[in-house]
Amino acid sequence: MKHPITLNVNGTPYSVDVATAQSLLYAVRDQLGLTGSKEGCDDSECGACMMLVDGRPTNSCSYLAVQADGAEITTVEGLGEGDELSPLQQVFLEEGGVQCGFCTPGMLIAATALLQANPSPTAEEIRIGVSGNLCRCTGYDGIVRAVLRVSREGASV
Amino acid sequence: MAAVESKQAQQVFIRPDGKEKVTGVGRYTADLNLTGQVHAKFRYADHTHARITRIDASKARALAGVFAVLTHADVPEVRYGGMVQDRLMFAKDAVRFEGDIIAGVAALTPEIAAQAAALVEVDYEPLPAITDYESAMAPGAQLIHSDWESYGAEDMGRDGNVLGHSTVIRGDADAAMATADAVVSGRYVADASQGAPIEPRAIIAQWQGDKVTVWTSTQVPFAARTGVATVLELPESHVRVVVPLLGGGFGSKCDFHFEGHVAALARAARRPVKLVFSRHEEFIAPDHRREGMAVELETGVRKDGTIVARRARLVIDGGAYCGEGGFFAQMAAMHAIGPYQMENVSIDSYLVYSNNQPSSSIRAPTAPQACWAVEQHMDEVAAAIGMDPVELRRRTLIERGKASATGQIMDEIGIRETLEAAAEMIGYGQDLPDDEAIGVACGWWPSFGVNSGAYVKLNGDGSGTIITGAMESGTGAVMGLPILAAEVLGMKPEDFSILYQDTDAGPWDMGSSGSQTTFNNGRAVICAATEVREQLLDMAEKELEASRGDLEIADGVVRVIGSPDKSISIADLAGSGTPLLGKGSGDVPEAGPSDIASHCIGDLGLTAFLAPQLITHAAHVKVDRDTGVVRVLRFAAAHDSGKIVNRIGADGQVYGGVMMGIGQALTEGTTFDSEGRQINPHLLDYKLMTASDGPEIMIHWEEVVTPNAGPKGSKGVGEPPSVPTSGAVGNAIAAVIGRHVNQLPMTAERVWATSQENGQ
Amino acid sequence: MSATYLAAASVEEAVNALKGGARCVAGGTDIVVGHRQGKKPLPASIVAIHGIDALRGIAAAGAGLRLGALATHEEIESHAVVRERFTGLADASAIVGSRATRANGTIGGNVMNASPAMDTGAPLICLGATAVFQGPGGTRSIAVEDLFAGPGQTVASADELLIAVDLPAPALGTGSAYVRLEYRRQMEIAIVGVGAAVTIEGGKVTAARVAITALAPTIHRVVAAEAALVGTDGGRDAAAAAAAAAAAGSAPISDVRGSADYRRAMAAVMARRAIETAVARALGGQVSIPASTSTFAAV
Repeated sequence: MKHPITLNVNGTPYSVDVATAQSLLYAVRDQLGLTGSKEGCDDSECGACMMLVDGRPTNSCSYLAVQADGAEITTVEGLGEGDELSPLQQVFLEEGGVQCGFCTPGMLIAATALLQANPSPTAEEIRIGVSGNLCRCTGYDGIVRAVLRVSREGASV
Repeated sequence: MAAVESKQAQQVFIRPDGKEKVTGVGRYTADLNLTGQVHAKFRYADHTHARITRIDASKARALAGVFAVLTHADVPEVRYGGMVQDRLMFAKDAVRFEGDIIAGVAALTPEIAAQAAALVEVDYEPLPAITDYESAMAPGAQLIHSDWESYGAEDMGRDGNVLGHSTVIRGDADAAMATADAVVSGRYVADASQGAPIEPRAIIAQWQGDKVTVWTSTQVPFAARTGVATVLELPESHVRVVVPLLGGGFGSKCDFHFEGHVAALARAARRPVKLVFSRHEEFIAPDHRREGMAVELETGVRKDGTIVARRARLVIDGGAYCGEGGFFAQMAAMHAIGPYQMENVSIDSYLVYSNNQPSSSIRAPTAPQACWAVEQHMDEVAAAIGMDPVELRRRTLIERGKASATGQIMDEIGIRETLEAAAEMIGYGQDLPDDEAIGVACGWWPSFGVNSGAYVKLNGDGSGTIITGAMESGTGAVMGLPILAAEVLGMKPEDFSILYQDTDAGPWDMGSSGSQTTFNNGRAVICAATEVREQLLDMAEKELEASRGDLEIADGVVRVIGSPDKSISIADLAGSGTPLLGKGSGDVPEAGPSDIASHCIGDLGLTAFLAPQLITHAAHVKVDRDTGVVRVLRFAAAHDSGKIVNRIGADGQVYGGVMMGIGQALTEGTTFDSEGRQINPHLLDYKLMTASDGPEIMIHWEEVVTPNAGPKGSKGVGEPPSVPTSGAVGNAIAAVIGRHVNQLPMTAERVWATSQENGQ
Repeated sequence: MSATYLAAASVEEAVNALKGGARCVAGGTDIVVGHRQGKKPLPASIVAIHGIDALRGIAAAGAGLRLGALATHEEIESHAVVRERFTGLADASAIVGSRATRANGTIGGNVMNASPAMDTGAPLICLGATAVFQGPGGTRSIAVEDLFAGPGQTVASADELLIAVDLPAPALGTGSAYVRLEYRRQMEIAIVGVGAAVTIEGGKVTAARVAITALAPTIHRVVAAEAALVGTDGGRDAAAAAAAAAAAGSAPISDVRGSADYRRAMAAVMARRAIETAVARALGGQVSIPASTSTFAAV
């Protein structure tokens, strides 16, 4: 059975029909063509699919698309302003927070959510805050440094 | 300190592929879709060891929405394998591990493909499965490959279930052992582990006439191209392999895997075919995991710390197929010696078949496990003579200019300096609470000198393009190539674009493996850029009417030294219409000789290490004695990787490699059931370290400018950061609980059980 | 394959759907994961309750607290009254999964999944919580202690909707804690967990509850452990005796996460830490939340 729903993704409303079982990740990647959010597992263990759903960091692989009907959704594609990178995106690059980049979209979403909830996190709070996002390349060091720098420089996320 | 110090203070290097990665517009293989594409699924073996008596795909073929079903009968019968030809694309007579593929299906949706795969009927006669790989060597053990003799590769010492046998014999270990003040022996057993990149692999194949293009998440596009051409009996020119962005590999995406299956399906389906692995498949199907290993060590030592002899016997679980693991017996033997001076060694190392998932290169294959065993053993040796473990290493690590245990003369090496640096960074010797301790471990890893190629061309606007066969798996090695070209050509790194990961564009390269990209492709890029430089100077000589010796290239111009007004910009020269194109590969460096190669079994040329990378790690841990749970609080990594070309990239390899090493030390173990099926093929029970588990990591580069090595005296960087990590953690744990944990990973339960045995 | 879906706007609408055979989802996680991994087919009919405002929030209820079924772990662990008076529950909510899990996961979903490894069950039982259901015939309350019937099963009937979890006011001098064995610091599932609530008056333990997690098919109280505490001073010896009783009351299995022997031994360790933390908090001491972190390597 298909359900007509509206997904507000990065400020744009999209009308789509989704099957009941369809995950939000599938709807955004395959139906809207926004492939920034990744699938690294299928049971909320890796965080590569993370999006903000009404501001909450959410593993979209394990969230029904129908339940997101009407919700405000932010994916990695919505973090910057036009061609301008967000401060977090920029500093991730400068601090070596990106290597293969596959965890990066989810990691940026997790870090964005963290800074929105806690603009001045400690390194420990950052590490706890992004622990749902597995990264195999960076050892997390550059990521923690990047989030710390953004919070210290007081840039709005 | 290091954990919060900004990289800005060092050097800002923005990866050329960075912007597409942080904005989400970069495309990985699974992000691509082709018009008309259908979806692939595999039918895997239902037994881990069985004879196949019947395969019937007719019901699967009859299912609506199915475009193709392939079994062994539908493809050429080509046995393949880089060293040992022991593999078929689709199982024919036998299955040998749970990931063996019986059939491939292409269907309109992934769901229909899965349904069809389940409809393939297979009858089996089950055979005894060998999962305890040491028992594979027992007389009368069930053969994993009954026709092993027809597989070639006699020089590996193969015999029945023994896939490889290597010895390292020097001096007289038996006689020397008798002269020791103390003889220490121990047995250490490491479980298998996984590369576990966050991107599960994906492949898309599309035919155009009799040529196929394969987009794939491989670390080795040229090996993938050769593989497809081999199994489908095509000329390599008919196969183009393109790698979109690659989401990590750590070795698990080396070698040729599934590209042939997908290309064959696409040809049969007459449609583009896409395969995307689930995380479960990413665990069980690839013939690539870090090998389990049993290591028995015996070391004779004098009271002053001199190692008089080392004996070792290693048995390595090769799993069901050889893959690219054929060199593991000899590589592990080298790590059973380590970067120490000793005159008398006798090492026996076996690589054996089993019905477990095949082993192949994962980040420094064989080294972390063997090093973990040896380095804990070294601490036991130190204890036996009442010597501090760092002091024992101080006295036994190879001195500059001295011979290794295989008799290779080590000229410019900084292993002893890494020991001192790591000990200083970690604060070795400080007083700590009694549930905390520091452990130290040393290790080594060779650089690999291989052919590699690149083209450098200049565009009409004065910008440049590097066309390379090299592969960017995330490390930044390819992203750093413009730094090298820019230096040669007096340009800026950001003046260059890079065309990479397309076998129809760049020259052959080994791929992202063996920490070799900067080492070999860096040399090729410099060589190619140097050709362009010569072409620029040729043109400028005429334009400026100056002799070559008076010309220099800098800041985007060619100018006459001392006459800054007599210059011409590179853009003007490049825009004149004359093609400016250089190619290069450079001279491949080779390892110096060892003095033992001639009388060792199974010698594959690894008894001498080219430009060895040398490492000391020191771990400061806290052990919860009541539970055995270990947290690594602080970590010091001191590396001699020669001259460092790109600091932020090199640091990134250490941070990531150390965290991977800590995972391997504490929580990452693949567990097989009694038939060789993985029990924990998912990320909840195969536990990668999270950000919250990360210690403060301190890094020191001992920049020994190394002759006969990579660009500027550099060596490899990517693999060593995982080598001595678990040894350092293990020694720290033992210092707390009073006994060495002899199984890897050193899980909480194992630490607890070891501690109980010690009566603590 | 084809499933019906209703986003309920009210409790009544949801209950009606349940009566018609629908299965309830809040965050959806379990249903989506089970379906995608091929473990559980999608229910033929689904009613989503995430839009029912009446199920949200945490509010005073008499001297106690009412947790709406949609209260998230993040809301629970950061709630001042929960942290102050129902500390064991804060310990549990603070360590569920990752931050994303805590931001989306609800107390209702956690309770009704009835996993023997779920973290909030033990502290809820120790704190005497009751689950409040709305069914076609009205509301009824079931003590959380009596709710679990087996892995994934509760005694509630299929047409009853969990609308809230009520926490009665703890007696003066009560402290509580939940401690879990953690191989990693985050993203863990309970392999062994123990909840404890202890009331101390005049230097003596007057009431105690101890419940164990992931050590049996259901989360349950260990009466012998409680008996070992009541009447004592709640000191080390009493805690050790109660911990031994908790371990004896467990029926652990062996699997890839740990052997039965190890789990039994860890039951004693976690129980001792939970009890000692509850006692310390009963006596007015500050043990920071989550207790699993603050008692790491405690001897």
